[in-house]
Amino acid sequence: MSPRTRFGVGHRVGRTSWVATVSAVLLSLIFILPAFWMMINSLRPTVDIFESLWPLSPRVIVPTSLGLQNYFTLFSGSFGRAFLVSMAVCLVTVVIGLALSVAAAYALAVLRFPGRNAIFAAVVISFMVPFEAIAIPLSQLFNDWGLTNTFMGLVLPGVCNGLAIFNLRQHFLSVPTSYREAATVDGASELRVLWSVFVPVSGPAISNSALLIFLGQWSAYLWPLIAVSSPNLQVAPLALAKAFTEHSADYGATFAGAMALAIVPATLMLVLQRFFGRLAIGSGEK
Amino acid sequence: MSHMQSKRMPDERLAVGLGASRAGANRTKRRPSRQRRAEALWAAAFLAPALAAILALRLAPAAEALVTSLYRGLPGGLRPQVFAGLGNYQMLFANQAYWETIGRTIVFNLVINPLQIAVALLLAVVMTRKIPARSIWRVLVFIPATIPIVGSSIAWGIALQPQGPVNAILAALGGSTQPFFTSPQQSMASIILVASWIGIGYWMIFLISGIDAIPEELFEAAKLDKAGPIRTFFHVTIPMLKRPLLFVLVADTVANFVLFVPIQVLTGGGPESSTTMQMFNAYRTTFGHSAKNMGAAEVVILCLIMLAFVAVQFRLLREDDPRGTK
Repeated sequence: MSPRTRFGVGHRVGRTSWVATVSAVLLSLIFILPAFWMMINSLRPTVDIFESLWPLSPRVIVPTSLGLQNYFTLFSGSFGRAFLVSMAVCLVTVVIGLALSVAAAYALAVLRFPGRNAIFAAVVISFMVPFEAIAIPLSQLFNDWGLTNTFMGLVLPGVCNGLAIFNLRQHFLSVPTSYREAATVDGASELRVLWSVFVPVSGPAISNSALLIFLGQWSAYLWPLIAVSSPNLQVAPLALAKAFTEHSADYGATFAGAMALAIVPATLMLVLQRFFGRLAIGSGEK
Repeated sequence: MSHMQSKRMPDERLAVGLGASRAGANRTKRRPSRQRRAEALWAAAFLAPALAAILALRLAPAAEALVTSLYRGLPGGLRPQVFAGLGNYQMLFANQAYWETIGRTIVFNLVINPLQIAVALLLAVVMTRKIPARSIWRVLVFIPATIPIVGSSIAWGIALQPQGPVNAILAALGGSTQPFFTSPQQSMASIILVASWIGIGYWMIFLISGIDAIPEELFEAAKLDKAGPIRTFFHVTIPMLKRPLLFVLVADTVANFVLFVPIQVLTGGGPESSTTMQMFNAYRTTFGHSAKNMGAAEVVILCLIMLAFVAVQFRLLREDDPRGTK
């Protein structure tokens, strides 16, 4: 193999590195084994988990029986309801968040107006501050505003995702200006241009931003913990933590809960994998 | 896939930059002011929801924290708050335990951030070498990052319990079993282990994109110069990777400063306060002890220390921007 041989994109020059191959396999095993163990445990009876924890034997990752019983137990309890609440919160957040981000990104990328750069900078800086840092004071404000223990109280903090706006703006900048000019000559309003010209050519960027907004909301823990006390509005991560601390004996259901929480984002990411690669670049270049 | 994207980005941005400035110049010359005003009105309408959200969800709570921290009130708000100036801060800084909390947070961040980034960088370098089935290994390392942190925290709590599988492995290898979360000496290290298992794969993805974006010619040139892998790493990869490294380091630091879930779920700040860090402490002060004014002061101090960390990192990594990454 000549050093310049390239197999598709991304391959570095030179021969296959066996040192690197062995390291890659070993390192990825370290990362995947605990996740594999979690998955196996979610599929076997709690007794089997208990017996396999100690001492070390192949049983730790080789189950005696597999089944979905833990998931049935889990979803028939309060976790099932919490899972639906989480889904609903995430979907509403994505819809509102996308509308807000697409509109803002269009204004920042396409429209010309005084103070545009300053506003863009403010948007970017606002998302460098981690949400958790301001979650505690925000919960006091939500209390004053009557949003504690409400569905919208769970939704709102997730709608404003600076990275989503940033990615959409970067994408809108790459849409040729002639598209908009042509539409404007035909008498289209800005709303029409955005909806009929920009949105149809922005599938990957929009799903990318939807994913970002969804993921941020799906794993939210601190905010639902401090903003909601009503059991009707309990979200899945909190239901899981509560089940673990209150009746931690049911390991099977606990692992099933962890896996159930993981399956949703993992599936979404697999589906949107191409866009995810793009996402990493967008934010890394910032 | 990510590689194709990265290769395209620079030209794309260049083209966009040129296009935008040209269109802008044209427009300012030709457009009647009525049209310009209409455009500004549209912009205001499009930006209003986002700006309202930033105002209500970011700026207002920041101001709320600052103002609240300057007052003193009774738990439950039975009596109106009274202005206390910097009284809350004085009380915090007179408290030995609070200093220890700050110290613990700083030490935690000084250890976990370089550790996570170093391992993520090592992985990124390995995963960009020519190896069979590369994307599979990448996905396997990334999978822990897709599991919501509450799930992985609980699973690791079980894995690290005194008679759990990790100790079973240690015992089988002839070592002695470790107390992990149950000992004040090891609880922090155990939190670092859990958080790193979750975080490293995530940061690796960013660094892989960064390495893929380095022009191939530089590696070929290094090869012609007969530079070994280690020299290539320090003379090509690292200098060309400064921007992604800075981004990842800052984002990781910011995330770890507010790390909350594993502590709340697994240790509750203990044993013997050994895992009480600023974020958990502010939460406990505000909701556990119902002292929201003191909690607000703790949030303000947490943010200031975090910003100081980020500023130092910018200084360390920004001083010379290598040519070619611009």
